[in-house]
Amino acid sequence: MNYNNNNHPFHLVDYSPWPLTGAIGVMTLVTGMIKWFHEFNLNLLMLGYLIVILTMYQWWRDICRESTFQGKHTIKVSKGLRWGMILFIMSEVFFFLSFFWAFFHSSLSPNIEIGMMWPPMSIITFNPFQIPLLNTIILISSGVTVTWTHHSLMENNFSQAIQSLFITITLGIYFSIIQSYEYFEASFTIADCIYGSTFFMATGFHGLHVIIGTIFLFICFIRLLNYHFSNIHHFGFEAAAWYWHFVDVVWLFLYIFVYWWGK
Amino acid sequence: MASILHRTATSYLKNQARASSHSATAGGHGGGYKLWKKLSLFVAFPAIGLGMLNAYLGHQEETHERPPFVPYEYMRIRTKRFPWGDGQKTLFHNPHVNALPSGYEDEH
Repeated sequence: MNYNNNNHPFHLVDYSPWPLTGAIGVMTLVTGMIKWFHEFNLNLLMLGYLIVILTMYQWWRDICRESTFQGKHTIKVSKGLRWGMILFIMSEVFFFLSFFWAFFHSSLSPNIEIGMMWPPMSIITFNPFQIPLLNTIILISSGVTVTWTHHSLMENNFSQAIQSLFITITLGIYFSIIQSYEYFEASFTIADCIYGSTFFMATGFHGLHVIIGTIFLFICFIRLLNYHFSNIHHFGFEAAAWYWHFVDVVWLFLYIFVYWWGK
Repeated sequence: MASILHRTATSYLKNQARASSHSATAGGHGGGYKLWKKLSLFVAFPAIGLGMLNAYLGHQEETHERPPFVPYEYMRIRTKRFPWGDGQKTLFHNPHVNALPSGYEDEH
């Protein structure tokens, strides 16, 4: 059945309130953050979170409806989404680049005030060959298991896809648990000179992206259980897997330069 | 001469492709799910196990001597109070290892 009464393969989206609520939501969120920092009041921030979360849920729900149930996602549409995801991930690469810039700026020629040394005087760094190494192995392994998922999907093996995606998500959660333990055990804090600032900004935003990636994979897991994916059409999953590999690569840079070179 | 070579090469490659695509566990062209499953089970999981063991043993060996408190100016920066609690503790504050600007909170 030709659902689209078009003579083109593109998706002209129906009218939707979510872009507007999204814009209102993020404005409320950042204004709320400022109100929190300056007036120590959380109300606006909480409202902002609520609006943004509701927008995300409903907007992405609508995309699932348009694609899986209404068949609006032709190959051309899928290709456009692929480019979109690639561009988004590239923008995230630049985001992390800025924190790495700050790190290299501070560590390649350390200031006199911190002892002209890196790590600065009195900073006790993590041993890169203990927990950080374990975290590296965990993330690389999760990259292998998510590839197991992808191939299972492509070969129409439903149960293998479920098992491997579940393992991938578990590994992601395991990483986050271990990293938060490290955060509590660290002898230095974000307020401890430029080392603490660069360390926690870089690893902190990375950790946030691990959590986001884990949630994305989890949503794919739910969709998989509900038979949304076919062996030839599962871009939502591919996008999640790309994002997950990106998170893994960022960690590798962090591990090599911040944890290992910087010790 | 070149055309004989070309025909030989082409028919060789076609035979190879036919043979490997028959196999249910075609490890070639991208690798089926079984390859990645084996990598996960026999390489990744043992590596994680070893990593866990290594981290655990390494942690056992460490002494938990915390360094004496020296009020360096560049440490424990409090230009602006944190927007939680009394504003003096960082988000992941651990009283055993993190000193406040005035020193450690507890007797170790």
